[in-house]
Amino acid sequence: MVLYDSATLGGSCSGSSSSSSSSKPPPLQQRQQTQQDIDGLLAGAGYRVRSSELRKVAQRLERLETAMVNSPADLSQLASDTIHYNPSDLASWVDSLLSEFIQPPNCPSAFIMDAETNQTVVSDAWTTAEPHMPQVHQNISYEQQSLNNQLTVDNQLTVVTAMEEDSGIRLVHMLMTCAECVQRGDFSLATSCLEDMQGLLTRVNTVCGIGKVAGHFIDALSRRIFQGIGGGSINGGSAYENEILYHHFYEACPYLKFAHFTANQAILEAFDGHDCVHVVDFNLMHGLQWPALIQALALRPGGPPLLRLTGIGPPSPDGRDSLREIGLRLAELARSVNVRFAFRGVAASRLEDVKPWMLQVNPKESVAVNSIMQLHRLLGSDLNRNSPIETVLSWIRSLNPKIMTVVEQEANHNQPGFLDRFTEALHYYSTMFDSLEACTVQTNKALAEIYIQREIANVVSCEGSARVERHEPLSKWRTRLSGAGFRPLHLGSNAYKQASMLLTLFSAEGYSVEENDGCLTL
Amino acid sequence: MVVPLNTWVLISSFKLAYNLLRRPDGTFNRHLAEFLDRKVPANLNPVDGVFSFDVLIDRATGLLCRIYRPATPEEPEPNIVELEKPVVGDVVPVIIFFHGGSFAHSSANSAIYDTLCRRLVGICKAVVVSVNYRRAPENRYPCAYDDGWTAFKWVNSRSWLQSRKDSKVHIYLAGDSSGGNIAHHVAARAVESGIDVLGNILLNPMFGGQERTESEKRLDGKYFVTLRDRDWYWRAFLPEGENRDHPACNPFGPNGRSLEGIKFPKSLVVVAGLDLIQDWQLAYVKGLRKAGKEVKLLYMEQATIGFYLLPNNNHFHTVMDEISEFVSSDC
Repeated sequence: MVLYDSATLGGSCSGSSSSSSSSKPPPLQQRQQTQQDIDGLLAGAGYRVRSSELRKVAQRLERLETAMVNSPADLSQLASDTIHYNPSDLASWVDSLLSEFIQPPNCPSAFIMDAETNQTVVSDAWTTAEPHMPQVHQNISYEQQSLNNQLTVDNQLTVVTAMEEDSGIRLVHMLMTCAECVQRGDFSLATSCLEDMQGLLTRVNTVCGIGKVAGHFIDALSRRIFQGIGGGSINGGSAYENEILYHHFYEACPYLKFAHFTANQAILEAFDGHDCVHVVDFNLMHGLQWPALIQALALRPGGPPLLRLTGIGPPSPDGRDSLREIGLRLAELARSVNVRFAFRGVAASRLEDVKPWMLQVNPKESVAVNSIMQLHRLLGSDLNRNSPIETVLSWIRSLNPKIMTVVEQEANHNQPGFLDRFTEALHYYSTMFDSLEACTVQTNKALAEIYIQREIANVVSCEGSARVERHEPLSKWRTRLSGAGFRPLHLGSNAYKQASMLLTLFSAEGYSVEENDGCLTL
Repeated sequence: MVVPLNTWVLISSFKLAYNLLRRPDGTFNRHLAEFLDRKVPANLNPVDGVFSFDVLIDRATGLLCRIYRPATPEEPEPNIVELEKPVVGDVVPVIIFFHGGSFAHSSANSAIYDTLCRRLVGICKAVVVSVNYRRAPENRYPCAYDDGWTAFKWVNSRSWLQSRKDSKVHIYLAGDSSGGNIAHHVAARAVESGIDVLGNILLNPMFGGQERTESEKRLDGKYFVTLRDRDWYWRAFLPEGENRDHPACNPFGPNGRSLEGIKFPKSLVVVAGLDLIQDWQLAYVKGLRKAGKEVKLLYMEQATIGFYLLPNNNHFHTVMDEISEFVSSDC
């Protein structure tokens, strides 16, 4: 999962990556194009520094070291309280640390800078058990070398499985063969593949590992072959069913909790100092994200703002107004913690049917737009009209939100070629299932698995407007969102730390949070 | 004394960041450490002829390792099925690599180590297995060694890593800084268990002792490293109450053990002339020689710590050539 935050756009991209070992899903990442001036060797080490700025950065590092040595009290504060941002941007990281120190007007006498040899004398002012505090002379200096070492970094596909059983390997082989037949249109061969695979399945452990996920892919392939690409009935699950499955997925693994938590942090920070705030939730579901935000706002120093929540969701078929019910429960909670709260539900079967006027945004309020795994559904292109994603992003922009938080699966499931998509999905969902297994939370995981299974079925057996699970990687979302006029805001070490700590609460062995160019990834 | 500007910037920024992470009370700011560490994902798409993938070796401890393999001309784009395809060759070296970080920092997926491992694949025509061992202070001795041993056994038992010549896995152990220390101890355990190790490659290995050596006194604080930080890391790694003459830290010291009579592998030990712990590293080499073990010492007079992280200096190229020869001499 990648969390991507911005002033006008907060983007959280989440979702398990397709890279991992059986229980650790590191992210599928895409490095940005290296600009011409960037030092290639440092880029390989994960740092972006312009060659032309190297000397300046070096000088500031020296200054930072001096400051750190001369004021140990500030140092411990720097270590514990300061929020660090985007360490890859070394220049700004060093500058931000430097700005934490109160600069004395004159250089302290213990500091002598010899400009010629860049020799620095610093006094070692740390207190330790050792009484002896040596004067240390730093002899090291540097010389500029111009090196042109461009690294080409392309799309990264990461995959891991640990397959011991021969049958497991054969199963994967056959899945790939079958998918290839499907892509070529050779359905008779594909069908016989399917039969072989069904047979092989009986000899493989389908309770866990490759056997389990293979079963779902075999189902999806068979659906595609026999029912055609209209999607079968898997997407026809009622809104009610979907909500239940979603809730179980939420409980069984950390992805959604991480996403909600980090998005809420970002929203909270964006709303700091604002008294009238309005959150627009693109997919309310059971409103699981909002109690925590309401409580956090209640505890805000200076008191809570007036909070409006607009929840978008599918219409309820049977006369119930489920949106309103959720709204009422949230209002109840808000009342209990003294947060002035107003809720409004907007029923729409598709996000592209929502028009901005339905949200009734007041120009005086600060708006947060929150989209959890909804934007990718807009990526199906219909040649007859404007691409829905552009339309929606444009009206979001026109609302001029203070922040937009976006959560998406970090996967590449929207490629035009079927075999490519199939392969990616096989990697990705194998990992997902593995990661689910790694969670020690005591819940019934079966329904969470069905939730995932539905995604698989959609990616594999649907096309056109029926295929809504069009996941795209972080880099594409970065580009798309920038193009729509949104600016990225970096998530810092405080958000990182809290997210990491949250993971330990969920007994999530093998999960870890990583920082990547201002984004957080699970 | 001069190092390239970008190297200086890299090592200095590590140094300052690490200063923020070590707390005087011996605890470590792990969250900030992980946040600041630049990591890269594994990549099944070959980059410069090398692809990588992560494997969970031991679920109980969460032990991961990253495997780097050369892409073959027949299968330039490996598939999910191809990951554990048998290695092709009469003799295929497998290098088990332990990253550095003074037992506390870095990971197998740290960018600097990912780069180094990829390079090793290229120059040695080897498969490299980089072990993500548990770190101090949260996991003290012997966790890192245990993880190394677990990884070693795992590698040794992979049929797909066997060389065709003798259906055995041809294992080398390698590491820098604390990783070099781990390589030594895992090698000792391996040969005691009767499993062959073909060679050890130790880059600026981390050793120490209670005594303050001349190099430590002379070079304290001069080239990125201080004695105080060395002490901190040993205190964080060694069992509480133990001092630096513990055999983990000082294998040929007063509590050490001679390797005489043990089939310890040949070693390539690289020592940087500007590394303050060089006297301990040289003592290590001496200890090996005294026990009659084959060891080649590469003393790089003008090198500082971390010189092998960026390919912008002569020491780097010299050492890479030596490593290549060291590994290929077993055919």
